[in-house]
This record gives sequence, structure tokens and C-alpha cells, in this order.
Amino acid sequence: MYVSSRRLGVYAVALGFAIVMNFTVPRLMPGSPVDAMIAQLGPRATPAAIEAIKARFGAVEAPLLTQFIDYLKGLATLDLGVSVKYYPQTVVEVLSRSTLWTLFLVVTAITFSLLVGTMLGAVAAWRRGGRFDTVVSPFSVVMIAVPPVIIALTALFIFGVSLRWFPVGYAYDPNLDPGLNFTFAGSVFYHAILPVLTLSPYLIGEFQTTMRSSMISVLGEDYVTMGRAKGLTAATVMLGYGARNAMLPVLTNLALMLGAVFGGSIVTEIVFNYPGLGLTLFTASVARDYPVIQGQLLLMTMATLGANLLVDVVYGVIDPRLRDASA
Amino acid sequence: MMSGLKILLQQKKAVAGLIIIVALCLMAIFAPVIAPGAPSARVGRSHQPPTVEHVFGTTKMGRDVYTQFVWGSRTSLAVGFATGIAITVIGTVIGLISGYAGGRTDAALDLATNAVLVIPNIPLLILLASFAGTVGPLAIMTIIALTSWPWGARMTRSQTMALRNRDFVTAARMIGEPAWRVLFVELLPNLLPLIGINLVGSIIYAVVAQTTLEYLGFGDPLQVSWGTMLYNAQNSSAIILGAWWDIGAPAAGIALTGLGLALVNFTFDEIANPQLRSGPALTRWLRLTRQRNRTLRSA
Repeated sequence: MYVSSRRLGVYAVALGFAIVMNFTVPRLMPGSPVDAMIAQLGPRATPAAIEAIKARFGAVEAPLLTQFIDYLKGLATLDLGVSVKYYPQTVVEVLSRSTLWTLFLVVTAITFSLLVGTMLGAVAAWRRGGRFDTVVSPFSVVMIAVPPVIIALTALFIFGVSLRWFPVGYAYDPNLDPGLNFTFAGSVFYHAILPVLTLSPYLIGEFQTTMRSSMISVLGEDYVTMGRAKGLTAATVMLGYGARNAMLPVLTNLALMLGAVFGGSIVTEIVFNYPGLGLTLFTASVARDYPVIQGQLLLMTMATLGANLLVDVVYGVIDPRLRDASA
Repeated sequence: MMSGLKILLQQKKAVAGLIIIVALCLMAIFAPVIAPGAPSARVGRSHQPPTVEHVFGTTKMGRDVYTQFVWGSRTSLAVGFATGIAITVIGTVIGLISGYAGGRTDAALDLATNAVLVIPNIPLLILLASFAGTVGPLAIMTIIALTSWPWGARMTRSQTMALRNRDFVTAARMIGEPAWRVLFVELLPNLLPLIGINLVGSIIYAVVAQTTLEYLGFGDPLQVSWGTMLYNAQNSSAIILGAWWDIGAPAAGIALTGLGLALVNFTFDEIANPQLRSGPALTRWLRLTRQRNRTLRSA
């Protein structure tokens, strides 16, 4: 296992940047967000709640540095403040309710798209210039350029509202009790189909494009010619010799795309009324629930960094050249 | 540059893409001619399906969707293109400096580039936009440009590093050209194909990000654009009520913009990296090889 200290430095700076943004932006904005939040709370604004909000958003008499250190201390103990909309629930409580749904959605979409996208890319590279390639490859590029909102709304209208093939909202049938049984799991699966299919075109497009270009250069290598010369079947050469080695750039790309995937899942969840982080963020932003919006940014940044770190580790395991370099 | 344009015009995909983009731009420029009347005027009943009088139907508020669609293209395209240009300029300048300077400057800029690259963009955009309240096109542009330059910076940096030690650059340095001249007169022209790819990609990204922000309700509701049209349609439950034209028109506009830009970018990629090409020449070559293989096998 090997992750360069340079990469770790990048992650530390990224996390630091997100924290500093969270700390500074509300203090820079004209018109105090504190007053707006206290007004939001209405009759629920107990002195304790007002105090907590003031401390978090800088409406206190203390030097900036002290405020920042207090803020960091809060973060270290997982204290992200209280939600304004769901007061007295804390931000951590609000976010943890929806994290699992987003995770489920994003992981399913990535797995599905990785399988489909890399296969399409491998076949397109294998038959470069053929009919398959000339249709699929430009189509993938177009898929990257269409905003997820458009795909989500179109899918909702065609398959949800007009054809009524799939449910138009929620993560499972509200008449069911959540539990570990087949009916519930089936309902969760059924409700996830449209959102996952909405998230996928962008991912499939990205994976297909990366896989195709990386596979084209791998197929030019001598060992691939050797494999062919040995008389191995086309499938063995394509998958075992070509695709396997062409996967590495796809993995790098996956790590860099995670931020965009979260962006896509925010929109998808709003369109399909799916109870994940995105919908929470949306209701929070409508209600100007700043603590939740901030917690969201931190959580998504940490998730992206964690996933990047994971990809770094996996990369070291599957690419022997990196292992040699570290030894 | 001219030869690049010539190659571009030889590709069917690129021509199709350019035609789409030019048509949309013409529509935006001549909005007062092809859709006279204020887009915010109430001209009909609520949610009327398309008729001869209102070719794209009406919105919940009884506004003409066609007029809104034509006028909305102005904000959407202007913000998309301007933001794309801003992203490209920032990314190119940072990439050039980072790749050319090397040493500590490069280390610092590269660290910043990679850090901003891994921070999820849309949640960051939402944080900034929600504290700024309702934001006009200019604010949306600034927010997107400040968070999305790293892709271009990374590409430009590695290309600059590859060019930095070429003879013509060393020569320019030796005759005493100042650093800015080496960067912008000697190096920059060699990066043009890359900048082209970066520009089209950035415009695509800007259109996606702008649509997302406006759909989430951060746009200025008084400014008609495709994104705010989507937001208003969503708010009036157009989909559930079956008023597909209300969502369909802005969605088609955005999708067409994406399609046109993607087709141009696909060709740019092939020009910059001939290895990826799948044009007619390659198809002909493949057919010949297959024929030859067949004759070899049957012999």
C-alpha cells in the first residue's frame, strides 16, 4: 500500500480550503445571515439556540482567530451546529438520515456505469472506425454535455408520468415498513431504477470516452500483438490483455469525477423527490438553513477525498509499476 | 490556425455542431425580430398546450413559452459563453505560469489546482450562491469561473512543461525576451489546439453548472433564461400536470446547446490527438485490411 505524501498534501489543502470557505463566506456576506436564521426559528428561538447560531456565524465579540479555533474544535468533535429548519435536531442528525440513500444511489450508479461504460469503450476501441464505434463514441461525448437536470426531467416525464412504469418519487413505498425483507428490498430497488438510470448517462459517457482512448494506446503495445500471434481468442486478447491494462486511467478519472457525481445526485434527488443528501441540501437552501448547507459541503468534500484516497490505494495495488517505484 | 479550421470544416460532426451553435446564437441575437413582445407579458390562459397562436404553449402564469424560449437563449448562451471564456483564461494563465516557472511557484500552483479539483463543485457553488441570496447572471458567472478552472490549468501546465525546454523557447530566453513575452508570444500560440478543447469543454461545463444553479432556484427570477424557465416550470408542477411543453422547450434548448458543443469538441479531440480518429479514412483502411485478411484466408 502506497500513497505519496504529495497526494496527502493535496487532500489536506482541499479539506482546509473547504473548512476556511465554510468559516469565511458567512462572515463576508452583506446582510447578517444570523438575523435571517433567528427570524427563521421564530418562536423556537430560545436564548441557547440564538447563542449557538451567533457563535457559529461570527456575530460575537471575539477576535477572528479565537473564533476560528473554536470553530475547528467544534469540527473535531463532530459538532456541526444545529439545523435551523429542523431545530432542535443537530446538523449531524439531519445529514445522517439521508447519507445512506445518497451513498446507495451513487454507488449503484457508478458500479452499473463502470460495467457498461468500460465494455462499450473496450469494444469501440477494438473495432475502431467500425459502425459500433462511429455511433457509440460521439454519443458518449454528447451524454457528457447534457445536464443531469434535463435527463432527469425527461425520464420522469416519459417513464414516470406518461407511461407510469416507475414511481415518481420517494425511496420506497410509503405504505411499507422499513425492514430486511424481500418486499421492502424490492420496493427500494424499484424506486431506485429511474434515479440510477438518470445518473448513469453522464458516467457511462465519461467511462466510455476514457476507456476508448486508453484502450487504443494499449492495443498498440507489443504484448497485445504477441497475444494475437500466439493465437489467443479475440475475447482473451481484448479483455485479458487490453481492457485489464486500459482500466487504470478510467480509475483515475473516476476519482476526479466524484464531485460531479455528487452534483448530479443532488439534482436527481430533487427531481425524483429521493430522500438523500441532495434533497436535504435543497430544502436547507430554500429555508436558508446555513448550518446544514455548510455541513453538506464538508461531508461531500470528505467523501470525495476519502474516495480519492481509496482509488490511490487501489491504484498502487493493481499497477505493479507504482509498487516498484515506492520500494 | 487556418489549417485547423479547414480540418474542422472537413468533419461532418463538427459542421453539424457548428450549425447548431450558430443557429442558436442567431436566434439569441435576433430575438426582438423573431419573437416580438416582452417574454414576461401574460398573453393567454394558464398551461395552454401548443396552438397556432402559441406555438410552444403557455406557462402556468399564461406567458408564451416560445417568446420566453427565444429571449431566454440570450441569458443562457451569453452566461455560458462568457463563463467558459473566463474559465479558460484563468486556467490557461495559471497553467502557463505554473508549467513555465517550475520550482516553488509551480509546486504552490499545482497544489492549489489539484486541491480545487477534488472539492465537489456543485455543493461549493450552492454554498456560495445560498449565502449570496438570489444572484444575477454576473454573480453566477463569477462563482462558476472561480471554482472550475483546474481542469484547464492541469492540461495547460503539462503541455507547457513539455514545450518549456524546446530550442525556440531557450533561444527566446537567451536573446533576452522578458518572461511574459516568452509565455504569451512564444508558448501560447503552440497551445492553441489545447486551448480550443479547453474552451469548448469549459462552455459545456458552464452551461451545465448554470442550468443546475438556476434550476435549484438561485437564479434571478426576473431574468428570463432556460434555467429559470425550468425552475418556474418545476415550481408550477408542470410535469405532474402533463404540461410537457413548459419543461420541454428550455430542456430542448439546453440539450441542443450541449449537443452542438459536444460535436465540436469531439472533432477538436481528434485533431489534437490523431490516435483517437475514427473518420472516413480510418474506416476505409479498416475495410481494406479486412478484405485483405479475407483473401489471405481463402487463399
